[in-house]
Amino acid sequence: MVKPVALLGGKSALYSIIAIAIALALIPLVLGYNMYYVYLAAQVVLVTIMVLAWNIIGGYAGQLDLASSGYMALGGAVSGLLLAFYNVTPWLGMPLGALTAAGLAFLMGYPTFRFGVKEVWYALSTAALVVILQRVFWLIYGSTEIYMPIHRWSWYHLRFSRYEPLYYMLVVILLVTLWLNIRIKNSKLGYYLTAIGEDELAAEALGIDTRRYKLYALLIYASILGFVGGIYVNLTSIVSFRMFDPWLGIVVAVMGIIGGLGSIAGVFMAAVILRTLEEYLRSMFGATIPGIHLLIYGLLLIVVGVLKPEGFAGFLKYFRRRLARGGSGG
Amino acid sequence: MKVRRAISTAVAVIIAVIITAAVVGGIAYYAALVTAPAPTPVTKTVTVTQTVTKTVTASPSPSPTTTPTKPKPVIKEVLIGLVEPLTGAHAVFGQEAKMAAELMVDIINKELGGIKSLGGAKLKLVVEDCGESPETGKLAAEKLVSQYHPPIMVGAYISRITAGVAEVTEREKVILVMDALVDELTEKGWKYVFRVAPKASAHGKSAADFVIDMAKKKGVKVESAVVMNEDSIFGRYVANGAVIELKKAGIKILDHLEYPYDISDATPLVSKVKELNPDIVISVPYFHDGVLIAKTVAQMGFKPMFIAGAGACGYTDPDSIKAAGKAVEWYTNTYSYNPARPTEWNKKVVSMFKERYGKLPTEAGGIIFYSMMVVKEALEKAGEMFPDDPLNPDHLREAFLALDLNDKNSIAAQLYPTGRIKFAPNGDNVYAGTAVLQVIKGEPRVVWPDAEPGLEPIFPRPDWPGK
Amino acid sequence: MIDPAYVTQILINGVLMGLLYSLVALGLALIFGVMDIINFAHGDFVMLGAYLTFLIATYFLIDPTVTIALTVPLFFLLGIAVYKAIIKPVLGAEPLIQIAVTVGLLMFLRNLALAIFHAEPRGVPYTVFSTPITIGPITIPLSRAAAGAVSLAVLYIVHLLLTRTRWGIAVRATADDREAAALMGINVERVYYTTFGLGTALTALAAALIMTFSRADPYLGLLYGLLSWVIVAMGGLGGVVGVLASGLILGIIESFGMSLISAGARELFLYVTFLVVLWVRPRGLFGRR
Repeated sequence: MVKPVALLGGKSALYSIIAIAIALALIPLVLGYNMYYVYLAAQVVLVTIMVLAWNIIGGYAGQLDLASSGYMALGGAVSGLLLAFYNVTPWLGMPLGALTAAGLAFLMGYPTFRFGVKEVWYALSTAALVVILQRVFWLIYGSTEIYMPIHRWSWYHLRFSRYEPLYYMLVVILLVTLWLNIRIKNSKLGYYLTAIGEDELAAEALGIDTRRYKLYALLIYASILGFVGGIYVNLTSIVSFRMFDPWLGIVVAVMGIIGGLGSIAGVFMAAVILRTLEEYLRSMFGATIPGIHLLIYGLLLIVVGVLKPEGFAGFLKYFRRRLARGGSGG
Repeated sequence: MKVRRAISTAVAVIIAVIITAAVVGGIAYYAALVTAPAPTPVTKTVTVTQTVTKTVTASPSPSPTTTPTKPKPVIKEVLIGLVEPLTGAHAVFGQEAKMAAELMVDIINKELGGIKSLGGAKLKLVVEDCGESPETGKLAAEKLVSQYHPPIMVGAYISRITAGVAEVTEREKVILVMDALVDELTEKGWKYVFRVAPKASAHGKSAADFVIDMAKKKGVKVESAVVMNEDSIFGRYVANGAVIELKKAGIKILDHLEYPYDISDATPLVSKVKELNPDIVISVPYFHDGVLIAKTVAQMGFKPMFIAGAGACGYTDPDSIKAAGKAVEWYTNTYSYNPARPTEWNKKVVSMFKERYGKLPTEAGGIIFYSMMVVKEALEKAGEMFPDDPLNPDHLREAFLALDLNDKNSIAAQLYPTGRIKFAPNGDNVYAGTAVLQVIKGEPRVVWPDAEPGLEPIFPRPDWPGK
Repeated sequence: MIDPAYVTQILINGVLMGLLYSLVALGLALIFGVMDIINFAHGDFVMLGAYLTFLIATYFLIDPTVTIALTVPLFFLLGIAVYKAIIKPVLGAEPLIQIAVTVGLLMFLRNLALAIFHAEPRGVPYTVFSTPITIGPITIPLSRAAAGAVSLAVLYIVHLLLTRTRWGIAVRATADDREAAALMGINVERVYYTTFGLGTALTALAAALIMTFSRADPYLGLLYGLLSWVIVAMGGLGGVVGVLASGLILGIIESFGMSLISAGARELFLYVTFLVVLWVRPRGLFGRR
């Protein structure tokens, strides 16, 4: 018999994290320190962080949050503006960004959960939040684009002429997020969140303080994104109101859903595969047929949603079962 | 419990290992960077056809084919990187820019025999899509640089994408000829950027100058104006340019409105302008809002003395005229390119473009026409000035700065609205200027500063009831 | 001091836009109310309708409003096809899956439009509704007045359909309790696909009205999609009246905000209103049945 959570439970979790850490650490070397591939890898890792962070609120607690880009951009704006205007190091700016994002999440989450805003209404209120943030930023800073200072190699400013340092920082954050995901899954918080995600009313009937645990999940999610925002602005070098992109929030949630809600391995794979595929399609066909990559992406979503609602996690399970059968048979 | 603790400790260990690895690697790399004379990163060449040969000189730009035996390198081909938004919301511009660049490369290679001072070396275009965000822009630039490392790149139309691209080209010492117009891009102290096209605020200034000039000629008095723009950074710079120029002329600015270009309804906007009742309106639209505003102005029966567009796209594009019909009649717009300029080469290029692609070139294509031609002239100059190592980035920069082009001595200048090109040290063209187009009988016509033969700008609007 | 005539003008602008918003949202309210399906692609049907209107109007050289004779039946059939192919398999699935599938549909439609028509805006360069109506200091564009009047009429017709016809009774019974309706002998499946068809057909109608003063572009769906959901959320499931009232409220708030405070902050007014309503009245302004 194969254990249901063979890949990411028990001791094998340790091995898989080590494997992922080594693989990710070696990627720049394997890619020959080619700037393009390392930059792409950094973006893939960034999206994976976003989706894994989303998994805590969306996958476990079952709240369709579409504001991931908003929290990330807010953290990024805090860290980036401090750096650009006051020369404050991102090492300080990033925790401050995380704090600001968590603060906003509290301000937003408290009334939302208090007044029982759920399901599609929750999704819409979070999508609206991103737009509101964007417009508030626009009212304050206007359409000006704020560029990060240029340094060839500065750990104080986190500005480099190569992408490897930022890539490795992202990898570290990814591993922490992965670890948090596993940690939460096997904790009381995780059980409560899963119960809420499956049936909120039943969870409440069991005496779980659903509001409080949903708020915890939201705060963790927002903090991770607020923190990583500081690296995001250093990757793109620009702070502008367009960072608050409602569309990105939807894409992150969609990746989490395709990955199979709550399945860490599935979510991880979905983010990596889909982001890489998107870039591949864009660079291959983008010039001849505009938008073809998003078109294929959309079709994929429909097909996965209609035929295999468990998403990538479903495929994973299927393969594992086949492997197990093959092993016992052979 | 034990397992969980084991996981946490293991993760902590791994993280520590990676941090140290990253730090050590970073320091080691930086040390290597400082000691090494030429900071050429080891890039893997992905192209199959290219035979990697090293030039004898310390040039960090490996031109595709050079013979190591002779001291003077023989250059057969010069790569030009083109980064344009071929997908996404700005694809309209990028697609046309790509067409224009392909046409110009063909003209330079076939009709002009390549770069003469480089022994007839041909230009070769390598194109990359920069999508619609700074991330994809940088990604595209990195891809071009790591695959081909072209000595010169052209792009990327949208300012925030261009800023990302410029960061890459500055680091790699690749000359970037920008076709993005936001003022700030040449104010950042970047060394290897050049911009032939007039910057955003010059567009606003031209629109204001045109109105002031016409009012004087026709003997009407302009006292008040409303300036409105879509809320991109480009729109704001253009509008500010217009505001400054209008204020200088003593015209009262009743209001300066900004709005997102994808508004669903322009009635509140037009109602407000109508309520303010200015003599003239200067409007900086993007595509979508241009159609909407023009239609709403017509349907609201708003009849000011004049509505002048500024900033290159919106009212006078063939697509906008098709979409808005009669509503955009008499609207003007400023262009970085004058498709009707009656010089020999301009006529020729326009007709070739029309023949090949079945439409008139607009702003995006026009900027590429003269930008590519300036690239060609700069390469010629570099070949004359530095025959030993023309493609060295610092030599190329000097060649760009040494250019002083006018209608008589250059094709590039013939394609440019003012007919003169000379670069200031920050990379901007000293003689930058725009042309004003007006929709007359459903056709975009050039009316200012030099009107098409036999054409008079229509000013004020014929439906203006007068004061 | 603000001129009272100007305030009236702002109010009228808001009311007319609000009526159109209500019409756009009506289809979504119907679909969501009856089938409990979360459709994120609603705005993109409006976009598709705008392109279809553009194609037909410029091909036959007819007024955009006349095209509804063709587009509305076409969209009714399209709605049924989409329902059978995509919506039916995810009926009753988790809301998250429904959202994923309809977001996929949205991406497909938007980028199909981008691939075919590219990003340039398309418009119908003529319409009979091109003159203004002037009453003293107030000007109303005829196109907007017509759009408002048609919207109001359609809202009323749908209201009658729901309250006075056998089909309407079946729809409302299904919305109340699907199982009970099935037991009563109502063909639930038929109710579902007709509702989805009608909801989609209404977007084509709205699109034709929009094309009299605006343009079609691939990103038009973004504009109307979220807005429709906001209206449905505010209106609760209070039927046609709820949709009409929240559409009007949003239209008026938008108009006043844009005219008196800042045109760029348009979305801020809409979505802050939405959040406040959601917190204060989680079941919408008009409650759910």
